[in-house]
Amino acid sequence: MVSINYSAREVCCKIVYYGPGLSGKTTNLQYVHEKVPSNTKGNLISLATEADRTLYFDFLPINIGTINGFQAKFQLYTVPGQVYYNATRKLVLRGVDGLVFVADSQPDKMDENAESLANLCDNLKEYGYDPAVIPIVMQYNKRDLPGVLSVEELNARLNTYNWPHFEASATVGNGVFDTLKMVIKIVLEKAKTASSSKLTSKSESSAEGNRPAMAGSSTGGTAVAEAPKVDTDEDFRPYPGGHTGGVPVQKAAPSNAVATATVAASSEAKTEGTVESNHDNEKSNIDNSTTMSEPKADVPVTPLMAPPLRRRGDGAKRGFFKRLFGIK
Amino acid sequence: MSGNDLIIYEEETNRMNDMLSKMLKGCEAKCALLVDKDGHLITRQGFTHSLDTTALAALLAGSFASTREIAKLVGEPEFSVLFHQGKKDHIHMSIVGERSILVVIFDDRTTIGMVRLYAKETAIELSNVFKEISEKSGSDKPELSDEFADAASDKLDDIFQD
Repeated sequence: MVSINYSAREVCCKIVYYGPGLSGKTTNLQYVHEKVPSNTKGNLISLATEADRTLYFDFLPINIGTINGFQAKFQLYTVPGQVYYNATRKLVLRGVDGLVFVADSQPDKMDENAESLANLCDNLKEYGYDPAVIPIVMQYNKRDLPGVLSVEELNARLNTYNWPHFEASATVGNGVFDTLKMVIKIVLEKAKTASSSKLTSKSESSAEGNRPAMAGSSTGGTAVAEAPKVDTDEDFRPYPGGHTGGVPVQKAAPSNAVATATVAASSEAKTEGTVESNHDNEKSNIDNSTTMSEPKADVPVTPLMAPPLRRRGDGAKRGFFKRLFGIK
Repeated sequence: MSGNDLIIYEEETNRMNDMLSKMLKGCEAKCALLVDKDGHLITRQGFTHSLDTTALAALLAGSFASTREIAKLVGEPEFSVLFHQGKKDHIHMSIVGERSILVVIFDDRTTIGMVRLYAKETAIELSNVFKEISEKSGSDKPELSDEFADAASDKLDDIFQD
């Protein structure tokens, strides 16, 4: 689902770092943010708790520059690793192009790795992705710690789909770029096959000639001008709708109309409901009482049949209880 | 892969931009963004120069996604409108069709009612455009060529150096 925007001349990919809690996903992103040249990166946005645990996601946009006339942009996301946050973790996976699974190489973390991996496969399947097909790179992190499992062992236990794998220690940066480069390469390789593109925007007249590879030779496909078209100086109005007085009226009229219609409809419904229920009552009465031979069909059965409420006493006596209890 | 492909041609991008501009003039909002639910920015209009629209698009899509889950938890299929009120600037978000979000950023020169009214109308117009696009795109699938991937991989080696 690589997004190729032909009118803005952009190729955009979404890459998600997945893995168990505290395996080093955010650290990966922080290292990338720290090391890439400032003109290629955006701000690193972290939606984290006060204890610096990822709550929703971290987001780092990277623009590697123009390739064959197209800006190549990558959006790196991480997910919250804790089991508790599966609902938000799943949301981040929406529209993903490539994944990095960051596994903790320590022996006592294997269960968490396996659980997170199973969770990843479940979540991917829920979105209709096949874990065997979507580009995924396995990163065995924390290789600098003592007593970690061997790569063969980790591969045997975690890498059932035979994804490309890298050793890394994200705190010092070993293997971080290798992993990222590999996942980007696989994503772009996959985009070549054209089966996975999702949202694009391109010039109608030169659909063929404007493919990124051909852009060097083609002159078409001008980017859509994004200059602000709102000229507030010219059309400045101190009060909204000042000289377009019709607008508020327009706004009020339909809403009133709708409101009235609703009220009317509901009152009709009420009346009908009452009538029907009266009918039902009457029918049941008829059924129960054998003395009455047939219902009086000519007498309309409506709420109007109820005797009018009559106030007792004249004006002076009214409000006796109110006065008695001092109610105003 | 999930999701059906959608190809937006330049003509439609222009049409959408016109609709957004018209809406901005009508309700006097500052700017409008059209964001895919995946977090990609489709198009934008108005005063967006001072904004980090990439990050904004990703965060707004995230915000909308979490709201949708909240809706499901309380038994609603979707909350179609989301409103953030600030001291000076406010954000109004509404769903366009099935896959996009119309975001309007406005200040105290206008009112929430005006923005809501215009955003509602524009969302209907935009969803019609999206409907046309999805009918039109059919089997046309865009693709990257071999050269692009190769050139990108060379560039990656330059940028990602320890």
